[in-house]
Amino acid sequence: MTTVKQKNHTTVSKQEWRRRGFIIAFLAPTLLAFCIFYLYPLLTVFFTSFCKWDYTNITNPQFWGFADMFNNYKYIFTTYPYFWEALLNSTFWALLGIFFQIPLATIIALAFSRKIKGIKLIRNIYIIPCMISSAALGMIFLQLYSPLYGIINPIIQIFNPEFSGNILLQKGTAFWAMTGAYIFFTGTTTLMILGNIMAVPEEIREAAMLDGASGLKQDFLITIPMIKNTLKTVSILAATSGFLLYNEVFFLTRGAAGTYSISYVIRELAINSPRSQFGRANTVAFIQIIAGMLIILFVNVVYEIPSLCKKLRRN
Amino acid sequence: MKTKFKNLNQLPIGTRIVTIISLIWASIVSLTPIVWLFISSLKKDPLARPGFQLPESIYLEGYISTFRDLNVMQYFGNSMFISIVSVVISIVMISMSAYVVARMEFWGKKLVNLMLATTLFIPATALTYPVYNLINRLGIYNTRTALILIYACSGIAVSFFVIKNYYEHVPKELEDAARIDGCGYMQTFWHIIFPVARPGIMTAAVLAFLNNWNEYYWASLVIIDREKLTVPALLSTFTTSFRTNYNGLFSAMVIIILPPILLYCIFNKFFIEALSGGAVKG
Amino acid sequence: MKKLVALILAASMAMGMVACGGNTTPTESGSPNTQNTSAESKNEETKGEQQVLEFYHGYYHAESEWPAAKVMRDIYDEFAKQHADGPVAFKPIPVEKRDEIVSAKVAGGSFPDIVDMGIALPQSAISQKLILDLKPYIDANNLKDAVGLNYTQNNIDGAIYTVHDQIETRGLWVNTEVLKTAGVSVEDLSTWKGFVDSMAKVTEKKNGNYGYASGQGSLKMLYAYLGSTEDGRKLLSSEISADVINSETFANAFKTIARMDQVNGSEYATPDVGNLMADFNQNGKVAVLSNGVWNASGIDEKFAEAIQPIIFPENVSMATAGTGLTVAANMSKEKTDLALEFIKYMTSEEVQTKIFLGVQANPCNTTLDLNALAEQSGDPIVKKLALACSLCNKAQTVVSDVSYKWGADVGNAITNALMECANANTNIDARFEQLQKELTALIG
Repeated sequence: MTTVKQKNHTTVSKQEWRRRGFIIAFLAPTLLAFCIFYLYPLLTVFFTSFCKWDYTNITNPQFWGFADMFNNYKYIFTTYPYFWEALLNSTFWALLGIFFQIPLATIIALAFSRKIKGIKLIRNIYIIPCMISSAALGMIFLQLYSPLYGIINPIIQIFNPEFSGNILLQKGTAFWAMTGAYIFFTGTTTLMILGNIMAVPEEIREAAMLDGASGLKQDFLITIPMIKNTLKTVSILAATSGFLLYNEVFFLTRGAAGTYSISYVIRELAINSPRSQFGRANTVAFIQIIAGMLIILFVNVVYEIPSLCKKLRRN
Repeated sequence: MKTKFKNLNQLPIGTRIVTIISLIWASIVSLTPIVWLFISSLKKDPLARPGFQLPESIYLEGYISTFRDLNVMQYFGNSMFISIVSVVISIVMISMSAYVVARMEFWGKKLVNLMLATTLFIPATALTYPVYNLINRLGIYNTRTALILIYACSGIAVSFFVIKNYYEHVPKELEDAARIDGCGYMQTFWHIIFPVARPGIMTAAVLAFLNNWNEYYWASLVIIDREKLTVPALLSTFTTSFRTNYNGLFSAMVIIILPPILLYCIFNKFFIEALSGGAVKG
Repeated sequence: MKKLVALILAASMAMGMVACGGNTTPTESGSPNTQNTSAESKNEETKGEQQVLEFYHGYYHAESEWPAAKVMRDIYDEFAKQHADGPVAFKPIPVEKRDEIVSAKVAGGSFPDIVDMGIALPQSAISQKLILDLKPYIDANNLKDAVGLNYTQNNIDGAIYTVHDQIETRGLWVNTEVLKTAGVSVEDLSTWKGFVDSMAKVTEKKNGNYGYASGQGSLKMLYAYLGSTEDGRKLLSSEISADVINSETFANAFKTIARMDQVNGSEYATPDVGNLMADFNQNGKVAVLSNGVWNASGIDEKFAEAIQPIIFPENVSMATAGTGLTVAANMSKEKTDLALEFIKYMTSEEVQTKIFLGVQANPCNTTLDLNALAEQSGDPIVKKLALACSLCNKAQTVVSDVSYKWGADVGNAITNALMECANANTNIDARFEQLQKELTALIG
């Protein structure tokens, strides 16, 4: 690129400058927002994860020194009792986002794309739960799961009349109960996928019809590959929100019965501890950021697999 | 348009079954919490007649007291104003940068992507103190402006990914044709790309609006005058240190989601149908 | 049908527009305006015309939801009115997340002028010297009796940083009807053994009644249980340490409560006792509620006879000054004077009487004769409150809620462990060992 530019320096430069000006002008507001809002916290998270920073020196974080710079990490990895549980749970919720929520949302979006009487009504209703804040949904599900007033225990008792107790307090069921409190509400995801399905040009569908593909077969062969990029984007968003689950944990269990999440651990360390362990909280925060990047990378890799397979087959 | 999507009974049997199951599932999943919430909001004591039992008699005190005692309209006004202004600011800002990143080559593009992606994972606890100090230093503490600034800047990553994805769908030829017609970068963006990607931008706007509408952490932190607060403030007033008024709480929850539902019903033409109109042809 | 829907939509949109329009106009011009006013107020401060003392408190609830909130706001407004013409104006502000605001300020090295705190004092605020020591003022003005329990419990190395105008006093509330149905008398609850057996009897009946709401409530019972022995009291008076966590006394107390919780059943375990409070106060399904004396005002009229206050087994009650009015250090002399006067005002007999009668809480001022006040008022709820308070105040042993001292994270870990133990299939010994590890790590 640069060599080409240099060759045509005199002719291109004016236009090239205009192009650069345009890029800078269009990026500037977003970068400014990033810098005033996120840059400082981001750097703080990174640097203070190597610092002693708690109630004893709240305005003045102190570097642990090069010999002990991983002190906080050591504490989080080896001593802090909830870290691994939280990381495991959060990762699992992220994976459920990619491998459960997105397929579910896609199938529902495909159903919504058919021409059926009354479909618009269902479409509109389906997004309503996504308009309820996760805090409010948390309170609603606390009631639905309540062994005294809820609807879950009677349902379980149909299959297992012996069952009694609180599903939010038993290891295993608590995790799934919490998952159930958010995972089925894919309204906005479905909306995005649906928008894209609808945008697949008719000619392409018709061409597929001639090949004898119709219905779901047509969808899987033609439509889905065409909306791959959208699926990738919504996968990233679903994985992210699963990984960052917080309100559900707060309202349903406060971490009891093995349901800690990474976000909850961070808050527990920074706010709930009277020892204001900001350094350690930021260590977990930094791990959260790195893990998040890995999740995005993972999603990208997953969506490259089909084309890789194709390439391999061709070779 | 009419022939675009086939009737259900023209579809293969397998597809038909999957479709019907999906639709039933979608209805159950979405109606369960909504119906439960609505029924409960009409019960005098939702705990005394739990589950989906119909109320003995319809009890509207929760709705009445919410409207009578809590200045609902003021909260609605604040939330509408703050959400809409901040959505407009952030969406305009993001549609510009997402376009540049999606369609142009430049040094540092990967870095921009990476930077925005990291913002998804910075926890609110790490943001709290710097942002709180910033707001104070700007002298906008306890103003709606502060909240608008925060909302416009937060959540940019989600909008960025959604909008960028839509730009990537816009055919290159459209742009090239415009360039040949002598449009500048600005004109190409404004007259060609922006209208085509509008449904995607609208979708991002809806997501951002819903987030801002329900956001309460920042609102309760930077605004202390209750007359400037946003709708989620309605919920907390029903829980006191020795009891929760569930009838009031559930009524307030229903009231809070009404405006987004109304707005959605009115505007959903602009994204789903606009998209199905086939503005984007490849 | 469609027309109707359209009409409703249009009407409600119009309403929304009006609401928006009504609000946007002042706001648009409002944002520069507010900046002006804040600039003005700064000018005022420098000019020294009238300074403003801002006071953050948590009584933001509508009067219809919680009348006590209005009573408190009136008390504050009264003080503001008294000082409207002074050199410093007093401005009470109801704030929902005042604790979050305090911690955000503390992290930035400042503190609100005066705030009615709800959580433990951030130790970082003390170490940064952001908070004023109130002890000299209390001593100079002879307010020792007026601040009551605050004087001893909130004394940190010779300084008093916070004065709570209400004492968090806890005993137990019992429903005598439910007990009677299970064949248990109130006297049976005066020893821990009797208490444990009685709770089991109530639940065994399987008539829909249950012993008590465990979880958050069990944590208080655990502390009360510790308070019933000499060794336990020693633990409660010390900072949390490995010695406390690994002591036989702590293990014994945890396991006793955990076993009782398990018999009681996990259906009734909740991290927030508010979730099940209605079962006791309105539905009359629960034998015992572990909640403060203030619960007197929550009891439904139909159980006015049946529900009575008692104290914890072995003659123990729990009284915690906790955190309350906290004043920033380094304010101007005029502001500091007014803040201190506010503390005197809040602990004065006149205001304390209002708090007792109107808010229905245990006032901190020890010079009040609660029973006499209750008799005077003739209000049955207040009488019940007075009874509860005097029972708790007269208990042989009065312990404090150590969650304030040990920290919310420690309290949360113990509560979670207790709640998991409520499951019939949880091995209590194993869960306790795990808890010991968790606690050791948390304080490390």
